[in-house]
Amino acid sequence: MSAQLTLQAPLEVPPAEVTPYLENLWNQGLESSTGAATFTLLVWEPSWLEQQLVRIGKVDGPIRGLDRQDAIEAARELVGECGLPPSTAPMDPRLVWKLGALAGSHQAEDQRGQFVESAISNHMPRRLITLAPTLAADQPLETVVAAYCPLPEEGGAGAACGDAIVLRGGLGALRNGLDLIQPLVSDELPCWVWWNSSLDEPPEMLEALAPPRRRLVIDTSLGTPARCLEVLVERIRTGQAVNDLNWLRLRSWRESLAMVFDPPSRRDALQHVVQLDIDVEGDHPVKGLLLAAWIADRLGWHLVSSEVVPCDGPGNGIAAEFQRTDGGTVSFRLMPLPVGAPKAHPGAIVGLRLICRPEQRPPLCVILCSESGGCMRLESGGMASMELAEDVVPLPEESEEMELARLLGGGHDTTNPLLAAAAPLAAELLPVAAA
Amino acid sequence: MTTILTNPLRVGLRQERVISPQCIVIFGASGDLTHRKLVPALFELFRQRRLPSEFAVLGCARRPWSDEEFRQKMGDALAEQVAEHPRAWEAFVQGLFYEPVDLQQSEHLVRLAQRLESIDRLRATRGNRTFYLSVSPEFYGSGCRALAAAGLLADPERSRVVIEKPFGRDYGSAQALNRVVQACAKESQVYRIDHYLGKETVQNILVLRFANTIFEPIWNRNYIANVQITAAETVGVEERAGYYESSGALRDMVQNHLTQILALTAMEPPGRFDPEAIRNEKAKVLQAAHLADEEEAWHCCVRGQYGPGGTSARPLPGYRQEPGVNPNSTTETYVAMKLFINNWRWQGVPFYLRTGKRLPKRLSEVVLTFREAPVHLFDAAGGSPTPNQLILRIQPDEGAEIRFEVKAPGSGMRSRPVDMAFSYDESFGEPSDEGYVRLLADAMLGDPTLFTRSDEVEAAWRLYTPLLELIEESPWQLPVHPYEARTWGPAAADNLLAADNLLWRRP
Repeated sequence: MSAQLTLQAPLEVPPAEVTPYLENLWNQGLESSTGAATFTLLVWEPSWLEQQLVRIGKVDGPIRGLDRQDAIEAARELVGECGLPPSTAPMDPRLVWKLGALAGSHQAEDQRGQFVESAISNHMPRRLITLAPTLAADQPLETVVAAYCPLPEEGGAGAACGDAIVLRGGLGALRNGLDLIQPLVSDELPCWVWWNSSLDEPPEMLEALAPPRRRLVIDTSLGTPARCLEVLVERIRTGQAVNDLNWLRLRSWRESLAMVFDPPSRRDALQHVVQLDIDVEGDHPVKGLLLAAWIADRLGWHLVSSEVVPCDGPGNGIAAEFQRTDGGTVSFRLMPLPVGAPKAHPGAIVGLRLICRPEQRPPLCVILCSESGGCMRLESGGMASMELAEDVVPLPEESEEMELARLLGGGHDTTNPLLAAAAPLAAELLPVAAA
Repeated sequence: MTTILTNPLRVGLRQERVISPQCIVIFGASGDLTHRKLVPALFELFRQRRLPSEFAVLGCARRPWSDEEFRQKMGDALAEQVAEHPRAWEAFVQGLFYEPVDLQQSEHLVRLAQRLESIDRLRATRGNRTFYLSVSPEFYGSGCRALAAAGLLADPERSRVVIEKPFGRDYGSAQALNRVVQACAKESQVYRIDHYLGKETVQNILVLRFANTIFEPIWNRNYIANVQITAAETVGVEERAGYYESSGALRDMVQNHLTQILALTAMEPPGRFDPEAIRNEKAKVLQAAHLADEEEAWHCCVRGQYGPGGTSARPLPGYRQEPGVNPNSTTETYVAMKLFINNWRWQGVPFYLRTGKRLPKRLSEVVLTFREAPVHLFDAAGGSPTPNQLILRIQPDEGAEIRFEVKAPGSGMRSRPVDMAFSYDESFGEPSDEGYVRLLADAMLGDPTLFTRSDEVEAAWRLYTPLLELIEESPWQLPVHPYEARTWGPAAADNLLAADNLLWRRP
């Protein structure tokens, strides 16, 4: 992370003067630059966890709204204090709720929207608009504006520049300020909306910021599973370009599984899968369901049934049955596992087991394990006679901002077809009782 | 039992960058390259959904074709692909246009600019243009000048020009052409194409070297005894006599393809995977390379020319008997040479390059032969232990193998060589894209990593200047040795290595 090089100090201007101020800035102040013909990035940036941690004095300010390791570590330590199960991920919105009940009144400077990951600024967004709700619901609307150029060593040596606008205030003030945003979003350039928060938040703000013509970035690990899948499926259904960071974090699992079947000699086994097991951290099944749905979609399986199964873990498991294209049956189980040190986001995958029984060949058992933990449960039981393909899936090392930067760089204006196919199936896999 | 041809879990995993709305303008659209390579590559990109819907191809040549004729001719040339994907072709062909253009006629350029504007409106290509000069090399400079004069290269963000090989005929002409091109466009707009760099296996040299820790520590003069780079063709000159007579193997293969492979094999690690960082390192290593004997270049280079050969059932004509070839031609169809690279990594390590037409096999490979073990503890089955070799197979049977000694089974401690092999086919089972698919996409994306920068081109020509001068001024000192078609070149090439107690690898 490094700071933007601003051509001027970020300036607080009255909300009503933002548009005239920017017009003036580009017409007179930056005569030599026309601005980058790239895209607008609109970010819903509540950073509730960081705000709460600062308020109770567990981390220092300023509040920047970027991924910070010290905040994750502090949150991890507070899980137990807040009476949540150890499998609760630091980013779990339930932790934020619990933190809200703790006493504290530390203050820190709020710099959200003024610092951007260099990977994002390298793409030279023409306009960055950050909506930064404050913990104090009654805080009036403040607007901060600055022009910027990426630092030359970050690849931004050209004249193309952009501007950054921050709308900060209580939820009510931001709602009232929504009218300001539309004139700031150019119709001529693509607009990305990054909903960098839980999908359980009041839907009207998401509706207002992300109409179908804008490209939406969400994270289905944040929010109740049913709501997360509902938003994902509904948005895809309307034809909106939807990108899910939770889906993107599955990249290494999808790649590792595909690699097992790259050698042509193994491909036939994919037609004879009989069992799929996925273990996830804690009680958030969405990531595991998306992985299962992707496999099922790619292999042409038809979902027959899905039900909740009780288990000893932190939540209920899900059992389902698929029918293969040849009529054979595939049984699927997703089990929540208690873990001592969960990853930052809820529902990370712990392991995957795929058992294939091809005709006239020994059965094949594929086991993929997360780099950070074993998968003894999946490795146990009756595999001695099988050909075993076992691998460790590397943890993604990239921050949310890096993932977003990758999306911005890709320039895709439609939902990834694999996600579009997997999401409805994942929603079907989630039994009503588990939602 | 049904076999799944593709890996269904692999489909769609590669998320490539989407090319911006774009019009690619091909000059020389009536030529061979357009229907054999360029349009098939663009159609492949279209089928892979890597082209945006706002996309157009404008073919330009002197022939007075209409859009419809151009579409028809391209459809005929791609008949097999069209039959396989009729709906995709139907959609793709809507973006194919043709404009009769003579680059030497300024009024034609005015008309071209107007046509491009109308295509911008029709296909929403937003003024993003890639101009592909698939014309005779003598028109590269004037073509760039014409485009610049018409204002078509004025916007460095929206316009690019791709220039085919050969870029110049020698160091001086490459310098002059660079000056012309750079007067017309910024270096960042210029994409000098070498289709060898589009091959997966050539790019794999970078990955193999810099994504692994086991190779780089021994990738130097302390462990490597010599390097052989071979590009062998089974075909003769075919229908290219007109071009080949004035170019020969040195200009046609060595200065570009083999030199690029040399650069990738010998370059230092770049600081980051960035076009300029990579091209800096390639340029540096080429600047450090030199012929083993620049003063008396005939000591380190052998030229050859294929004579008649084949079998009585299927006789093959010699080069001089090929249609369009001067019966007394002294153009080389084979070159072998020895180079050194003057830097800390490679000082004293000979690099042997060879290429030829009508050789027994079609193959390209890089062979790194390691130094022998300092003490021979064991009897070797073959008399003496075979040196370790790392073989990078560029084509065909793409992959890599390592040759090393193991204990031969049985009593005693005799060693024998074995191969540990990696094959793209066995590991991935998917055909690689044609080089032009990758390179056209990169050019339209504005990624110059796999294109040759001006200083690289000049360094490559400078490397062979002593040979070119010798051929020009006193050709008898570098005679063309005849070799029978479908043999591994003239005996003189074997002698080049024999002088160093080495043999060419017989693949």
